[in-house]
Amino acid sequence: MKIICFVKLVPDVENFKYDYERNVLVRENVHQILNPEDCSALSVALKLKQENIDVQVETLTMGPEGCRPHLEDLIKRGVDRSILISDKSYVGSDTYVTSRIISRYLEREAFDWIFSGTHSIDGGTAHVPSQVAECLNIPQMGNILRINQAGLFSDRVRTEVDSEDAVLQFEIERPAILSFQYSTKIKLPYIKYEDLERDVSGQLEIVSNSRLRFCDTETGIAGSPTKVSQVEVDSFGRKDTRFLKCDDEGIEEVYQFLKQRGIVCS
Amino acid sequence: MENDKLMKNISTILTDDQINTDPEELYDAAADRYKKYAKARKVLDVPVPLAIVYPKSTEEVARLLAFCNENQINVIPRSGKTATEGGLENWKEQTIVIDALHLDKIIKIDEYNMQATVQAGVALQTLEDELNKVGLTTGHSPQSKPVAKYGGLVATRSIGQFSTLYGGIEDMVAGLECVFPDGHVSRIKNVSRRAGGPDIRHIAIGNEGTLCYITEVTVKVYRYFPDNNKFYGYLTEDIETGLKVLREVMVNGYRPSVARVYSEEDARQHFFHFYKGKCVLLFMAEGNKGIVEATSRGIEEAVDKFNEGIIEEVPSELIENWFVNLNWSQQDIDDEFEGMIENDSHDGFTTEISADWETIPKIYHNAIERIRKEYNRVHDLTMLGGHSSHSYINGTNMYFVYNYSINCAPEDEMRVYHHPLQKIIVEETLKLGGSMCHHHGIGKFRNEWSKDEHGTAFYMLEKLKKAFDPNGIMNFGTIYYQEEGAKYQK
Repeated sequence: MKIICFVKLVPDVENFKYDYERNVLVRENVHQILNPEDCSALSVALKLKQENIDVQVETLTMGPEGCRPHLEDLIKRGVDRSILISDKSYVGSDTYVTSRIISRYLEREAFDWIFSGTHSIDGGTAHVPSQVAECLNIPQMGNILRINQAGLFSDRVRTEVDSEDAVLQFEIERPAILSFQYSTKIKLPYIKYEDLERDVSGQLEIVSNSRLRFCDTETGIAGSPTKVSQVEVDSFGRKDTRFLKCDDEGIEEVYQFLKQRGIVCS
Repeated sequence: MENDKLMKNISTILTDDQINTDPEELYDAAADRYKKYAKARKVLDVPVPLAIVYPKSTEEVARLLAFCNENQINVIPRSGKTATEGGLENWKEQTIVIDALHLDKIIKIDEYNMQATVQAGVALQTLEDELNKVGLTTGHSPQSKPVAKYGGLVATRSIGQFSTLYGGIEDMVAGLECVFPDGHVSRIKNVSRRAGGPDIRHIAIGNEGTLCYITEVTVKVYRYFPDNNKFYGYLTEDIETGLKVLREVMVNGYRPSVARVYSEEDARQHFFHFYKGKCVLLFMAEGNKGIVEATSRGIEEAVDKFNEGIIEEVPSELIENWFVNLNWSQQDIDDEFEGMIENDSHDGFTTEISADWETIPKIYHNAIERIRKEYNRVHDLTMLGGHSSHSYINGTNMYFVYNYSINCAPEDEMRVYHHPLQKIIVEETLKLGGSMCHHHGIGKFRNEWSKDEHGTAFYMLEKLKKAFDPNGIMNFGTIYYQEEGAKYQK
């Protein structure tokens, strides 16, 4: 059984810098991390692989070549093969074009299931998994909490899905895209010490436009139907500041402030 | 000697309630905060000690040491348990931890002669609270103040956050009592100054439990004027501007109790609410009113001299609020421990070095550049920066600070992340003539560079070890490199 996992490298939003003079987010040299929900999905796949020798796990990423060290780490964690779709002409593609690019690669690949996160922490639109499913004409289910793993080996898998006020059960036919929610209960396996320096370059493949053959007008900003008319960044400008001491009086004042706004309950 | 027989002998020296063999306590005693993450995850790779013992008197310490010395049993002296460099880590199968828990008496507070005498197990905060009641202060305030105890503070050459005014612990110790492995008790008398040969206090101060066990300490105390404290904060263009201002203040003879500059990355951790992506320079002026006024003028003049690199002044309340909440309590330590069990992360690590004013920025930039170029897990680094927090007339320290995502097994963390990063920092420091350890001590994980740190003077350290601990029972692996311990290091 072959599982392809979508893995997106996203900026570590905890470590954004803000340029107060130009009023923009500084994106240069921002530390990249694996999208947490994608990690959860990949963790499920790798656990399955650890328990079943005939499970093959591949990752699929679209991004710059700077993603390489992270993808090599995934191979060292147990992924069989990593694919990085990377081409200068793809820079600036919106979710629709990104979905088309990924789909074109997948059209020629054999797979049983695709795993992904439901959202990414940088965009959060949840467009790509469902748009890829649409392009490939296969079903997709988002917000998955759990799956019946045995079902993955048959033609139908049962999923438990978070619908905010209830947990619903759905069955989905193979092949399909299963998009997971973030879970703290399952984690990626550690990289073993002896594997840290292992050369895994042979298991990492870069796929460029010379293989996928989009024309210039189909990709990047030019090919993207989404047009950004204006970006508004939340202002971090100085608010009216009051200084409180870290004593009972100060704590009480902060507590009342938060209580009035419904942030804490009495 | 068989373990059973050994424990039987110990029980002839101490009562049962002074001997702790609880498995969880022994596991905890096997390592300090250096391997905090592996410890939290229950994957420590070092042997656990046989027992933790709690002597109630200097005589009991002497008898314990003499017994261990005779039978070649490793001893780890311990008090507040806040060590960060492996000084409390155990590398021997037969080890006894001697904890100063019951050596907890404040013996005397001498207000007229401005000194206080305490046993090794007195917590710094306890003495500070007692002194504050009579308008005095220890002047010593490491971040571990609520937890650290005097035996450890002196044994590790501790420094506090007010060091620019009060100095390090070595400037505060008037005299002390210590016990050597053969059971000999030495009392170094308390005098204001003397020229009675070499200053033998320094055999005990900073010995990190490798030469003797400190049982009692007399420290100088100071008048306490908390209402006069004044705080200053500035955003600076770069860390060099901050260092220049620090130097200007120091060479002009002013002694603010706190004088610090943070790199942008490190400032983000502490001053997210006002740092605006810039370096942060801060001061605290302390003491009687006249001194505070003069110090404040000195700070303002120095800032004015380098005003091209100063972006703006920060409201002093922000600096004061930050400073009041800087120390970590036992609760903070426990919370971090719980967090490490839940998550693949912790609060990060540090390496603190020192050098002269001219050299410190070079070491800083060389080390940061080398880490970014050479370190093979650089993509896991989530923060890399530093700050200077202890200044002198001839130089300052640099506290390299780094956080990282942990992607290896907990037991491999230190050799994958901290140790290689520390290696680069130490190498760059020693290359330019700085010191590889400003105030944490050498512990067990910088001992491979002890010879390089001291050069030809290492001869003196070796001779001290041979003279005072010929059987090598005192804190095996600390300060002095041991091939046998290398398997726990890398």
